[in-house]
Amino acid sequence: MIKRLSLLLLLVGLFLINPHCANVEQNQNIIKSVTVKEVPFKDVSSGIWKKVPVTQVNVIPQNMTLPSLQTPTIQYINVRSVHNDNWIAFLLEWEDKTRDAVVDVNKFTDQVAIQIPLDPKNLPAFMMGNKGGRVHIIHWKAIWQDDIEKGYRDVQTLHPNYWVDLYFFSEPMIYAEGEFPLQPTTVDYFITPEALNYIPGAYARNPISIFHRTQPVEEAMAEGFGTFTTQPKQNATGWGRWEKGVWKVIIARPIVTDDPNDAPISGKTYIAFAVWNGSDKNVGARKHYAPWVELVVEK
Amino acid sequence: MSVTSWLTSKVKNWQIRREMGYPYEESRPEKQIAYVFDINKCIACQTCTVACKTTWTSGKGQEIMFWNNVETKPYGGYPIKWDLNILKSLDGQSWDKEGKYNGKTVFEAAPQGEKVLGWLPEEEDYSYPNIGEDECAETVEKGAFFSGIHKAWMFYLARICNHCTYPACLAACPRKAIYKRKEDGIVLIDQSRCRGYRECVRACPYKKTFFNLVTRISEKCIGCYPLIEKGEQPRCVQTCIGKIRLQGFLSKPDSPRKDNPIDFLVYVKKVALPLYPQFGLEPNVYYVPPIHVPKEFLYQMFGPGVDNAIETYKGAKDDKELLGAFLLFGSTDKIIHSFKVERDYTLGFNDKREMIAKVPLTEPIYVRPYFDKKVGTYRHNIP
Repeated sequence: MIKRLSLLLLLVGLFLINPHCANVEQNQNIIKSVTVKEVPFKDVSSGIWKKVPVTQVNVIPQNMTLPSLQTPTIQYINVRSVHNDNWIAFLLEWEDKTRDAVVDVNKFTDQVAIQIPLDPKNLPAFMMGNKGGRVHIIHWKAIWQDDIEKGYRDVQTLHPNYWVDLYFFSEPMIYAEGEFPLQPTTVDYFITPEALNYIPGAYARNPISIFHRTQPVEEAMAEGFGTFTTQPKQNATGWGRWEKGVWKVIIARPIVTDDPNDAPISGKTYIAFAVWNGSDKNVGARKHYAPWVELVVEK
Repeated sequence: MSVTSWLTSKVKNWQIRREMGYPYEESRPEKQIAYVFDINKCIACQTCTVACKTTWTSGKGQEIMFWNNVETKPYGGYPIKWDLNILKSLDGQSWDKEGKYNGKTVFEAAPQGEKVLGWLPEEEDYSYPNIGEDECAETVEKGAFFSGIHKAWMFYLARICNHCTYPACLAACPRKAIYKRKEDGIVLIDQSRCRGYRECVRACPYKKTFFNLVTRISEKCIGCYPLIEKGEQPRCVQTCIGKIRLQGFLSKPDSPRKDNPIDFLVYVKKVALPLYPQFGLEPNVYYVPPIHVPKEFLYQMFGPGVDNAIETYKGAKDDKELLGAFLLFGSTDKIIHSFKVERDYTLGFNDKREMIAKVPLTEPIYVRPYFDKKVGTYRHNIP
C-alpha cells in the first residue's frame, strides 16, 4: 500500500515539474483547431495560444527508408491550432538545446514541417505520401527565417574573414579606383546573368537557392520518397522563435485556397509532422516524424 | 531495413573481377568518358587546377571548391585525409591471385541506416588544398644524394571526378538528382533538383562532390561537357603543360577496341589503372602508377595490376604502339577516337576518321651552326 502511494505521489510530482505536461491533451490522436478572431502569424507568445488545447505528438526517428536516423534527439512536438474564416495556423513547440540556423558542408539547420493529405478519405502513406496519394507539405527552416530577419546567410556569416581576390562579374566593380578593394560580402553584388553563371543553383532557379525569400516556409507536394516538389504557388506563411532551448514555430496557410495542390481543410482531416535537429546533422530523410494525427477543425 | 537489402541489383564490376550489389541495374552508357593520367609526368604545376577553377568554380560559395586538384602523396589530400578516412573504415581489402577483390565495396560495407559507407568532411578539411605539398615520405639520409638513387619518395596525384560506372553519389542521392548521361557517361548533379542534403558529399569516397554554401546545394565536376559535345577534350586536359592527360571514351569491358588509345592503355596493355578500385565504383580516370614508389603503397591505391603496369610502362620505349599511344597525350585539343602507328609517326583520328594529330615517335634533332650567317649572330644553347 505504501509502495503504491509513493508511486502515485511520484507520478503526480513528475506531472507537476514537467511544464510540457500541463494542459497537454492526453489523446495524441486528435488535434483540435479552435476558432479565433485573429490568427497570430508571428507572435509565438500571443495570449491566443494559451487558451488553446495542446496535443503532445510523439516523434520517432525516421526508419522507413535509407538513410535513416539512428539516434533521436527530439521526443515530441507540442501542437496547437487556431483558425478563422481565412487562415489556419499551427504552433509547433519542441525542445532543442541549440539554435542552428546556418548551413555549411557539415552544418545543418533546424527545421520542422507539417503534412496534410489531398484526399483524407483515401489516406496516403504517412511519410511523403505515395504514388497517386498526394500530400501537401509546408516546411519551415530556421536558416530561411534568418535570411529574412538578418539578411542572406552567406559565406561571411560563417567565416567573417573570408577574403577572395576576385569574383567574376560582381557589381559594383570590386576594385574601385584608388580605393581598397571592396569585398562582395553579400549575394546582392551578383545581379547579371554572367555573374549568376558562377552561382549555378541561383541561375537554375533552384528553390533552395533563393536569395530574397519573403517567407521562411516552402509549400510543396509529394507522392512518395524523393518526390518532394515545390509548389508553383506559394501562399503559406511561417515564423519561429527559439528561446531557452525551445523552438516555437507558427505555420499558417489560407484555410480555403484555389490552389489545386493545396490540401483541403474542412471538418476532419489528418496531419503529420517532421522535425530536424541541425546540431545532430539531421537533414532530408535523417529526421524525426510523427504519422497521421486526426485534425478536427472546429466550426 | 537490413543493411544491404537496398542493393537490389547484382552488377558486373570488371575492375574487381566480380559481381557486386548496387541499387540500380547495370546500365552502361553508349560511350563512357574516361581519362588516362600518367602520374610519372605530373609536376604539380596546378595549371589544370587553375584552368578548372577559373572556368567553373570562381563564384561565391565555391571558394574552397576544386573540382580538379593535384595533391602530393603520401601526406597530401584534398579534402584532408579523404582517402585515409575511407580506407580505415573499409578495412580488410584483399585481392586473390586472379585479381578478384575479396573485401567489401563501399556499398556492401554500408553501416546500419546508411546507403553507402561514407563520411562527411568539415569545411576546414577543404581549406588546405596544398597540405603536404612536396613532402617526401621520409627524410633523405645525409649523403644519399651522392650515393645513387635515394629511397625517399613522393608523387603527385592529380584528381578529378571519376565519372564512375557505379557512382556512389548517384546511389546515395535520395532525390535522384544525380544522373549519368547515356551519351557519354558523364555524371551530373541536376542544379534545379538538388536540395542540398549532402548525401552525395558523404557517399563519394573520392570526395569529388562539393557543397556550395551560398546556393546550399551540391556541385561537382561536369567533365566539361560543353567541350565534349563539341568533340574537344576538357579544360584540365587541354591545358596540361606536362601532357600527362588524355581524355577519350572507354569501350565496354567485353568489347575493347585496340585502335582506341584509351582502350589500348587500359584494357590491352593494362598500363593505366583505376584509383582505389576496391571501393567498387568502377572509376573512369586511369592512372599510370608512379614507378619509384613502394609497391605496397601502390597496391593499396591502384590494386593488383601495379606490377604489370610498371613493367609495361618501362618497356614503352621498345613498344612502338604503346609509345605511339602515350605520345598522343597533349597532342591535340580534339578527342581522339582511334590511332595507329605508321612508320615513325603516331596518328590520331576523330570519330569521322579524320586525322587530328600526327606526332613523331622520336623527336627530330636539328643541328644548327654555331654562327648563324643569315642574322650574323652566334647561337647559344637555344632550341
